[in-house]
Amino acid sequence: MRNSDMTPAARGPVVEVVDVTKTYPGGGGARALDGVSVAFEAGSFCAVMGPSGSGKSTLLHCAAGLDRPDSGRVLLAGQDIGGLREPQLTQARRRRVGFVFQSYNLMDALSVWHNILLPQRLAGVRPDRDWAREVMRRVGLTGRENDRPGQLSGGQRQRVALARALASRPEVIFADEPTGALDLSTGREVLGLLREAVDGIGTTIVMVTHDPAAAAWADRAVFLADGRIVTELADPTAEKVAAQMMAVTV
Amino acid sequence: MIRLALGTLRQHRGAYAGTFFAALLAVALLAGGGLLLASVLTAKPPADRFAAAAVVVSGDRDVTLQKVTTKEKKGKVKVKRKVKSERLTGAGSLPVDLAGRLGDIPGVATAVADVAFPVQARTPDGRLLRGADDAPVIGHGWASAPLTPYALRTGEAPGPGQVVVDADLANRSGTTVGGRLIVTTKTGVRTMTVSGVAAPAGRDALPAQGALFVADTEAASVSGLPGPTAVGVLASPGTDLVALRRAVEDAAGKASVLTGADRVRADLPGALPDYIGPLSIFGFVIGITAFSAVFVLTGTVTLGVRQRLRELALLRTSGATPGQLRRLLGVESVLLAGLAALPGAPLGVLFAHLVAARFRDLGAVPAQFVVRTNVMVLIAAAVAGMLVTFVGARIAGRRAVRIAPTQALAETANAPTGGLVLRIALAVMTTAGAIALLVFVPLDGPLGMGMSFVSSALLLCTVAALGPLLIRVVTAPVSRLVGAGGATGWLAGLVTRADPRRVAAVAVPLVLMFAINATMLLNSVLVDDLTAQEQVDRTAPATAQVTAPGGLPLGTVERFVALDGVTGVAATLPTRAIVEQGGKPEDFATQGLLVAGSESALDLDLRAGTLPGMGTFAASEYITDQYGWRLGDDVRIWLADGHEVHLRLAGVYARARGFGELALPLDLVAAHDPRGLVSTVGLRYRGDVPDRIAASWPDLRLTPTLGAAPPGDAQNQQGAWELMVVISLGFTAIAVVNTFAIATAARRREFADLRLVGATTKQLRRLVGREAMITVGAGLVLGILVAAIVVGAFSTAQGGTLRVFVDAGTYAGMLGGVAALGLVAGAVPARVLLRRRSLPALSDGR
Repeated sequence: MRNSDMTPAARGPVVEVVDVTKTYPGGGGARALDGVSVAFEAGSFCAVMGPSGSGKSTLLHCAAGLDRPDSGRVLLAGQDIGGLREPQLTQARRRRVGFVFQSYNLMDALSVWHNILLPQRLAGVRPDRDWAREVMRRVGLTGRENDRPGQLSGGQRQRVALARALASRPEVIFADEPTGALDLSTGREVLGLLREAVDGIGTTIVMVTHDPAAAAWADRAVFLADGRIVTELADPTAEKVAAQMMAVTV
Repeated sequence: MIRLALGTLRQHRGAYAGTFFAALLAVALLAGGGLLLASVLTAKPPADRFAAAAVVVSGDRDVTLQKVTTKEKKGKVKVKRKVKSERLTGAGSLPVDLAGRLGDIPGVATAVADVAFPVQARTPDGRLLRGADDAPVIGHGWASAPLTPYALRTGEAPGPGQVVVDADLANRSGTTVGGRLIVTTKTGVRTMTVSGVAAPAGRDALPAQGALFVADTEAASVSGLPGPTAVGVLASPGTDLVALRRAVEDAAGKASVLTGADRVRADLPGALPDYIGPLSIFGFVIGITAFSAVFVLTGTVTLGVRQRLRELALLRTSGATPGQLRRLLGVESVLLAGLAALPGAPLGVLFAHLVAARFRDLGAVPAQFVVRTNVMVLIAAAVAGMLVTFVGARIAGRRAVRIAPTQALAETANAPTGGLVLRIALAVMTTAGAIALLVFVPLDGPLGMGMSFVSSALLLCTVAALGPLLIRVVTAPVSRLVGAGGATGWLAGLVTRADPRRVAAVAVPLVLMFAINATMLLNSVLVDDLTAQEQVDRTAPATAQVTAPGGLPLGTVERFVALDGVTGVAATLPTRAIVEQGGKPEDFATQGLLVAGSESALDLDLRAGTLPGMGTFAASEYITDQYGWRLGDDVRIWLADGHEVHLRLAGVYARARGFGELALPLDLVAAHDPRGLVSTVGLRYRGDVPDRIAASWPDLRLTPTLGAAPPGDAQNQQGAWELMVVISLGFTAIAVVNTFAIATAARRREFADLRLVGATTKQLRRLVGREAMITVGAGLVLGILVAAIVVGAFSTAQGGTLRVFVDAGTYAGMLGGVAALGLVAGAVPARVLLRRRSLPALSDGR
């Protein structure tokens, strides 16, 4: 934990992936990631795009410290997490990273309120309840504190997941197909909340998606194909992203 | 549909493996218990001493009563006859002249009067003669030899003062012709000379009984019997046996006439292996194992199906009809249990053999007992296993199957406690049953032990039916206690409170394990304690207890009474006697009792009246209550040989444990008990009485009263009981481990989610540990409650005082053992699951 008191570089990259390679056993030797380098700036909203099997989820897992690259470096807020072993890796993750997944990944046994505070409790820090209430207000969950995830709709569950991610004030939130299980309008609402988090709170968001409309909410879109970054777009629109996707897929 | 069932089999390996394992064990236990019981029921006497006789006439071997009730209904008179009988421990005898009368029947070559009586034979250096497998030695008149037939190998037929023994006894004791044996019967102790050695054709002795022949002229005086116990009829060659039998029946009057395999029933009851004791033992074994097996299997199946409710709901949304789902669950459960029965049935055979071997070693079953593999029993066990699995699966899946698909999906995440009405109705019924048993059945009687077991089984059903509700109540305080401090404790508390059904599924086997085994152990310790204490209290007034190997003849006791310096004598002769109520004969442990002298040598804690004397008897408080007797009542009593007497109730005593429910005059019992030997004589004396006794009777043992050892029979029962507890403990322990494993295997996803939000592996292990503590705590609270109710009621009935813990050591051991097992069983599967991958969720295809 040499780097524990290092402050994130102001407005610099929060996450840096440098020349990362990853091969899954049993994949026929094909590389999921093949020398990928990319940086995600603090306070930005970046979409990672690409067709199925392009390696976008693998990139997210490696960048978030959920999986280890075979080679290359991953810097999380300036800290090289490649050299960390469990449970230091988990500790680094829970201090700096929040997650929003397609399948929500909420604890059914806990109420909305307890789900939102859970990461902080596990980290052993005193939960910031005022901030948690504020986050709940922002995502529109006020009044649902005592509900169980099972009693909520999909969109509401994803709001809980976002609130949970925001409540511990992470340096970056990784979102893996956050609208994948939602209908169009609910998905738009969730994307609007992500956008709100970046603009209003200054959160950094890295979102993996294959949906051009979702990518249009981001500041920047990075395109992956066959484990390599092929191109990127600044200020993407749905049309530009769709066109680029066509190009990548063909 | 079968393909679908097989497909889902792959999906939920954990739940299936657990259900399979539970079904396998359940089938094995059911098969094993069933085989033992069936083997006892079909056990055949190993030898027929009357093999050479065509027809055997037997004296009474049971007391049979007929109750005739007449009912008038709509002008019609209905006559109901109920015949009930109870086996005798001795043998009734036949008229002395019967053999002569039977001998005159045409076609009868000879009619042989058979006198059979137990003897105690010792070599002069004190070695007791016993047959193979500790078989008893039975005395006969030499005339009985042709009935088997026994033929002389060496020597000659016995004359007065002489005996012939079978070759096996001769070998074992090293006795040869011309040697001496000390023969004790109820008529006295005799030193007799061996005049010959005889054996049945082709072997040294009959299995399970040794034979000792005395001269026919001495048979009556040695045995003390008024007549033959049976008459064997040897037919002339070419006689029509059916006609012969009819003729014998005409001549025999009311005595039973036996042919074929039934002939063996004419033998002395004590000469044949006794399968009545084992019957009740194995009945108990199968009762406990069947209950535990069905109970555990139902719980496991329910847990397994519940883990798949989401999948079932998905099937509903994708167009499966409720009927299809029901069929799916049915096919799948029958398939699973059927497969489990394949290894389960052979395992049951093995189980039966192991238990039988252990019981033989303990002497709880006759040495001749063998387990016969009965295919019907195995099939029945397999079918029972399939049926329980089938019904369990159908009940557990009923809600997911019935409701609308979308509702099904929504509910699975947060399933409410279904079938509340059913659960409560079931619980009310079982609780009422348990209370009724504990309140209305006299628990201090012979049914007490069994009924306390049944009531704890019923209470366990209540716990299972109300599982989630009870667990919710109990978990709240327990989880707050365990959950205090730390994020993992907090989380464990929330998780256990949030899913009472899962906690209940795991806790209920723990409740079963503690309650059933604690009840069995504590109740038996309680009875042992009370019996030992009563034994001490009973014998306390005597200065010393006199015993002899095998027993003392009445004559010796009478000489004690006359000894100078002896101030009190209390001689007891254990036997059994039958009394009747409402046309139903029932036999009870009984003592022949002789009390003499100016001081008492026995304290039965008389509550009313006096000890038995001429024409009177005393009875325990229990039996007096049960039969509604009052002092002065004239009571019909059948003695061990079926002899009916009328005695007046003279006294009621309290200290009956380890003694008997009835105390009859000693001389009466001695005359009609087959052995008729006094077991113990309590003496009060002054001066050098012990020296004089030692001088006159060197074989007698005189020990200061310190509470004599419990009778051998009680020790056998104790060993059998302990073995049953071991079986029950083993099975319930496996059930606990299995349930924990199933429940944990299903939480892979939950653990992965927790890892994603930042829980370390260590935190998860701690979480699971805390959850196990809460579950075990809740299970033990309920287990303690059930055990306390049953043991409390039992102890109040037995000893008059309420005792819950009975024996602190046993109790603490049980509590600690169950808790330790639960904690380990809770922690280990989670550790295995967590070790596999650092983040199991990522490869789960999400």
